[in-house]
Amino acid sequence: MKTINILVALFILLVHIPTNGNSMSNDKVILKINKENPIISIKVWFKVGSQDDPKGKEGLSYLTASMLTQGGTAKNTFASMTEKLFPLASYYSARPSVEMTIFEGKTHKDNFDEFVSLFNEQITEPGFREEDFTRLKNDALNYIETTLRYSSDEELGKAVLYNTIFNGTPYGHILQGTISGLKSITLEDVKNFYSTYFNRENYVVAITGDLSQAQVSKITDALEKLNPGKENTPPAIKAEKIEGINVVIIEKQANATAISMGYPIDLVRGNREWYALSIANSWLGEHRNSSSHLYQIIREERGLNYGDYSYIENFPNGGRFQMPNPNAPKRHQIFEIWIRPVPNETKHFAFRAAIREFEKLLKNGMTDDTYSATRSFLRNYVLNYAPTEDARLGYMIDDKFYNIPAPGHIETFRNLMSKISLAEVNDAIKKNFQSENMVIVFITPDAEALKNALVNNESSPIVYSSPKSDFILEEDKEIINYPIKIKAENIKIVKVDELFN
Amino acid sequence: MKYLKNLLIIFIATMTLSQATFATGGVFPYKVERVTLKNGFKAILIPISGSGLISYYSVVRTGSRDEWEPGKSGFAHFFEHMMFRGTERFPGNVYDSIVTSMGADANAYTSSDLTVYHLTAANDYLETIIDIESDRFRNLRYTKEQFQTESGAVYGEYRKGRTSPWSVAFEAFQDMAFDKHTYKHTTIGFEKDIIDMPNQYDYSLSFYKRYYRPENVILVISGDFDVDKAKAFIEKYYSPWEPGYVKPEIDPEPVQTAPRSTKVTYDGKTLPLLMIGYKCDAFDVNNPDYLALDPFAEVAFGRTSDIYKKLVLEEQKVTFIQAGTQSSRDPFPFMIYTQVKKIEDMEYVQAEIEKTIERFKTELIDKSMLEILKKRDKYQFLMQLDSPESVASILPQYITLTGDIKVIDEYFANYDKITPEQIVKSVNKYFVESGKNLLILTGN
Repeated sequence: MKTINILVALFILLVHIPTNGNSMSNDKVILKINKENPIISIKVWFKVGSQDDPKGKEGLSYLTASMLTQGGTAKNTFASMTEKLFPLASYYSARPSVEMTIFEGKTHKDNFDEFVSLFNEQITEPGFREEDFTRLKNDALNYIETTLRYSSDEELGKAVLYNTIFNGTPYGHILQGTISGLKSITLEDVKNFYSTYFNRENYVVAITGDLSQAQVSKITDALEKLNPGKENTPPAIKAEKIEGINVVIIEKQANATAISMGYPIDLVRGNREWYALSIANSWLGEHRNSSSHLYQIIREERGLNYGDYSYIENFPNGGRFQMPNPNAPKRHQIFEIWIRPVPNETKHFAFRAAIREFEKLLKNGMTDDTYSATRSFLRNYVLNYAPTEDARLGYMIDDKFYNIPAPGHIETFRNLMSKISLAEVNDAIKKNFQSENMVIVFITPDAEALKNALVNNESSPIVYSSPKSDFILEEDKEIINYPIKIKAENIKIVKVDELFN
Repeated sequence: MKYLKNLLIIFIATMTLSQATFATGGVFPYKVERVTLKNGFKAILIPISGSGLISYYSVVRTGSRDEWEPGKSGFAHFFEHMMFRGTERFPGNVYDSIVTSMGADANAYTSSDLTVYHLTAANDYLETIIDIESDRFRNLRYTKEQFQTESGAVYGEYRKGRTSPWSVAFEAFQDMAFDKHTYKHTTIGFEKDIIDMPNQYDYSLSFYKRYYRPENVILVISGDFDVDKAKAFIEKYYSPWEPGYVKPEIDPEPVQTAPRSTKVTYDGKTLPLLMIGYKCDAFDVNNPDYLALDPFAEVAFGRTSDIYKKLVLEEQKVTFIQAGTQSSRDPFPFMIYTQVKKIEDMEYVQAEIEKTIERFKTELIDKSMLEILKKRDKYQFLMQLDSPESVASILPQYITLTGDIKVIDEYFANYDKITPEQIVKSVNKYFVESGKNLLILTGN
């Protein structure tokens, strides 16, 4: 790493520097030197995530990441590290996800030297103190036992959807793990996990801002002092085939019903077909955007909830973020529809409305008009995915994960919007979208009544608090009896306290 | 100014793995141009070349604070929804399709003191944006049916937020801490008022006529655009807007004369929450008593404070502790929040908070610590400005407080003058038993 050569840049330079270690052609450093940007961002990607949690120790990767940024180091307690960091107006944090763990730091260039020594110390010389371990493990348990189970039905619905689809695979638990997994994790487990995965052959570091070669070396030299080890081979993920419509009803007291549904798709970004499918998906349900067709039907015209969206890629924390955050990539994705909480008495109706719109898209495909409008929308809209240097750095890491060559995902996305034809979009719909085999999750009271209504295809009449147009009332006549075939044996009722155990 | 954040930020603070969080404050580093029209409309233009993007923020200096008529809580937020329903020239679906064709990131939010409409798009669309945005502020039209349908979406938003114990706690806290002032209700409003919204069509028209006026709206444009062209378009499109702003008749909150407390039960499982608020002043950059509360909050309750080390790290009796002013237009309590792990420790935690306050009534904070804080805040401010969008997005709350962004520099100039003695004086002034409000929330 001593031989890094950085070209002096007046403008932004992109330099991929191969390591001189034993990892062959594996690039370990992504540099985006920008002399005009005084804010330095550093992202260290370790190739480990919740998919690498050992069986029975679910939550271990999350807890290890927490210990590395919210625990002390060998030399300093966490309180002492916090005090040292405090005057620098800088921060670092861990972003664990399913397939990667990112440590990110941000500082002003004036404070870089002091900051980077703390950042390095935190990652490369962890303290693994019992008191930090107890505190962080309790925080993770508290998140599952109270926050997720009780205070965010939307996140709960999504967590159950993902866990159900990937049940029995290394993707089949949330980042924080399970109650029993967390309880069985010891400090020794954390130490071993760290030494196995946080090694010098298993990272990529990405850096942007106005910094010198010597400053870059301060980061890379520290990382090269990590334990020797090997690059992690991610585990195989084979989701069980979904047969028919499988419903999970999480029974809990709630004044509204959250609904999430989906099934695995065999497509990831980088593939031209993915971008074709993204046009159809954006039209059907662009995240938190009124252009979403589902939003128009369920919220705008009928006022049943706050929003309705669809996804062909993992979008964590959708309730908080308007745009997707980088650095939560997955090799295996699902198609997902998210219906935000609807009044309990309209849950069956809203579910039918969503499925009906989706099936109309399957049957009819996109039209020339919707295709043209959506691709021109996306061409500009995706620029909003990475408005800052920091976000662009995050996307560069994801490009490496997905093996997307320069100019990278966002530029590829933009370029392909003028090249992908309507026929390609409709082919992608035919190949990847279907409504016969999927998992549906409801978070709702009166589970037994919903089960009966679904199995018997009971009519789901709707009463509005305001007059509606004839067009909507005519459409409703179809929706309220829209047939969706669900067998009683495919419906599971689960109490909320039985989840994530 | 460090806690110039929506109250709800606390939800986020408890969820992330951040080592430290950002706050605002500092010296504004960009060149600013201003436009003032005869009708009272003001625009703040911040050219930052290079990105090809512009961020367009329309700041209405009306939030749930202005909902002074009984039964009308939640209306400012509801009205934010109605603003997407279109005009005669650009009906809702046409407005949507224009925004969609630009590939713009467009949205809005409401808090107690303001409503903000924002949009970020390629700079080719500068005139189109000024045209469609000025048009909806001047000529909004919606039918009673549309109005009633939207009320369903607002109720959905209420239900979505209601699953959080923090929402339940804030609602009860504000209801307890205020008797007369409109801060008695949260931005989303009381549930009974939300249920009644479909019946308030006529009121909504009056709300629009009184508050959506040029004297009450300030525009911020930041990013890559031609300032002269922008000035000409602003003149062209916003000048015909008729003035006519009517001030809300907000009752001032009487001085609180005795401590208040309440216990709330949350319908679900949660660790117990504790909120303590001491009545203090409104944001005022020229009030050193108020400004001194920012360094006090950091030193007494921040991540390097003794109480944080003791309760969070060593004894591990709480999951976090956080405190600060709310930087509001009218007086709002200085708030201290924490989440206690075991209910039996609740009294102990309260006593530790009291002890901390009492300590700083006599103990002068270290001068060098105060200097570190002053420098740190400037860097934190600069660190936030990493895109034209982030420049525009941090300004609305400053604008709503004072009508301009000069307050940023004024704040720092005055903050630099704060002394350890001033902090002691402020703590003695505001932290009195009779101004205390305490809420404990427990799960079932």
